[in-house]
Amino acid sequence: MNRDSAVLVFLELGSDNAVLPVSLECITAGRKLADALQGWLFGLIMGSSVGGAADHARHCGLDRLYTLDCPLLGVYHPETYCPAFLRACDETNPHFILMGDTLASADLAPRAAFALDTGLITDCVGFEADRSGVCFIKPVYSSNVMAAYTMKTKPYLVTIRSGTEDPAQRQHDKGAEVVALAVEIGESTLMVEVLERVLDEQEGPRLTSSSIIVSGGRGVGGPEGFAVLRELARVLNAAVGASRPPVDLGWVPPKAQVGQTGEKVGPSVYVAIGISGATQHLAGMSASRTIVAINKDPAANIFKVADYGVVGNQEQVVPAFTEVLKEILP
Amino acid sequence: MNIIVCIKQVPDPEGPQECFLIKPETMRVEPRGIPPVLSLFDENALEAALRIKDVYKDEVKITVVSIGKKISNAVLQKALAVGADELVKVEGETFDSACLDSFATATAIVASIRKLGAYDLILAGRQSADCNAGQVGIFLAGLLGIPAVTLARKVVVQGAHVVVERLLSSGYEKVRTLLPAVVIVSNEAGEMRYPTMIQRMEAKKKPVKTWDAQDIGFEGATLNRLVLRRFFAPEMRQGQCRLIDGETLAEAGRNLAQRLRRDGVI
Ligand SMILES: Cc1cc2nc3c(=O)[nH]c(=O)nc-3n(C[C@H](O)[C@H](O)[C@H](O)COP(=O)(O)OP(=O)(O)OC[C@H]3O[C@@H](n4cnc5c(N)ncnc54)[C@H](O)[C@@H]3O)c2cc1C
Repeated sequence: MNRDSAVLVFLELGSDNAVLPVSLECITAGRKLADALQGWLFGLIMGSSVGGAADHARHCGLDRLYTLDCPLLGVYHPETYCPAFLRACDETNPHFILMGDTLASADLAPRAAFALDTGLITDCVGFEADRSGVCFIKPVYSSNVMAAYTMKTKPYLVTIRSGTEDPAQRQHDKGAEVVALAVEIGESTLMVEVLERVLDEQEGPRLTSSSIIVSGGRGVGGPEGFAVLRELARVLNAAVGASRPPVDLGWVPPKAQVGQTGEKVGPSVYVAIGISGATQHLAGMSASRTIVAINKDPAANIFKVADYGVVGNQEQVVPAFTEVLKEILP
Repeated sequence: MNIIVCIKQVPDPEGPQECFLIKPETMRVEPRGIPPVLSLFDENALEAALRIKDVYKDEVKITVVSIGKKISNAVLQKALAVGADELVKVEGETFDSACLDSFATATAIVASIRKLGAYDLILAGRQSADCNAGQVGIFLAGLLGIPAVTLARKVVVQGAHVVVERLLSSGYEKVRTLLPAVVIVSNEAGEMRYPTMIQRMEAKKKPVKTWDAQDIGFEGATLNRLVLRRFFAPEMRQGQCRLIDGETLAEAGRNLAQRLRRDGVI
């Protein structure tokens, strides 16, 4: 193996301290890259009390797992995470660094790129490796165009959109070696001070981990319409998502937004109700296995990507749909 | 207080797909038949600046800096009409967005900001609506050696500090840092207000500076770290949509449930 061409995958933890699904997808992408380069595949977990996450991740096909375990890393703060992250880069000297495209990486990745004097390609949906090097593919111009980028500098820093790869699965093997790194980070020197954190009450399943999503758009008509969708979601044990207008209009909280600037999801079933299917919305959900659309406009773009559809006023379709599901679902 | 808002002019991102023509020879995307607009999140950044000016009135001067190959006065005048005080256009072939990556762009903006002189707060959108790189704001802060706060949904100036509500995946956090600082704004900060007719007229009298690469001492694309290899058309997901119907829409809804169950989808 060529140690010069290590791939380092940053494994972000969710609020439950488990590795995010998109980070497990990065392991899959990282494995392909590492194999193409005949290099190492390293993982990195940063956080507080990361033992459980590390125990899972070391069985997911890594060659080595680095951990940075420190109470100050329990929540993301750029001035603690970035130096810790750079410490791990220093240790592993990676050629490629992959992370999920998330709210945290939207902050961390550019800071790391700046500190490492290197380039960053965000929100990638694939890569191509050949003799001339590796190109990363990223949707641009509202996903109407794809761009292939490579880099003049090293390491390549790349964030990956969720739904790009299958998440790496836990294997029954002896597991990768775990190396605990030490960092010294002080809280006293922080330039940006956190005054308070306001967390939403989470009702029902989360968008990013749910296998079914019921999502509404402007055609849902208002908060009352979303109450009907929530009932459908309850019956399906699904998370509730939305296109941007319902978020902008205050019908649903911002975290419900699916799309280019919201969550990127890839559930097994995505039910799009009163959503036209703008490219910016498709960017967040076209990785879904099955798409079901209910829309009154037969020409709506959503039908171009959907597998099942009903053309009609959702106010009449959805309650009947929900009633039957209540009867037939176990 | 000097607030600088960085605004990019982009082809209307909501334009239909066929309007984004890919030119492989020149490695460019040429918009056809869609107007240029202010990039969405940059409008949110300007709105955040205007809300600060609503509080501090004439104590605040808002300067809009826009960098690009050719910047339309008509498009950028909208920024002046809603309440920005001055526009700085940094124009020329060198600034073609297809030729500059985020690092080179940030370097050009910093050169323009330095030429302008005083600044307390710099606002930028979280990502441009065309390239979506999402890096310029943090690079600005890095190059200027000042703090950056990202993903802002609310920006308030309190004395020597800026207090920002920053989006988290499960809520938000309120953070505070000393000025000068860069704050990177998300759409949750609010849509940009509409100008009145009178404001539109007055905007035409507001000062506009036009600079080129030489004026700001900008080297150009040699600063790039990324290399664009090619543009290509995306493969659209093609669902074979099975349309389910019924005598009534309610029946169609019932049939849909039965069908999804029968096909093992749910
Ligand atoms: C830079 C940028 C980023 C963006 N990011 C996102 C993003 O992350 N996520 C996102 O979703 N959007 C995003 N957008 C916005 C996007 O372009 C669209 O404007 C948006 O997705 C449209 O939402 P919609 O489909 O709900 O509304 P509309 O386009 O207004 O469509 C409403 C649909 O509902 C149907 N309808 C209406 N009434 C009924 C009824 N009673 N029964 C059945 N059907 C009905 C209509 O036929 C129509 O198809 C972004 C835009 C830009 C420029």
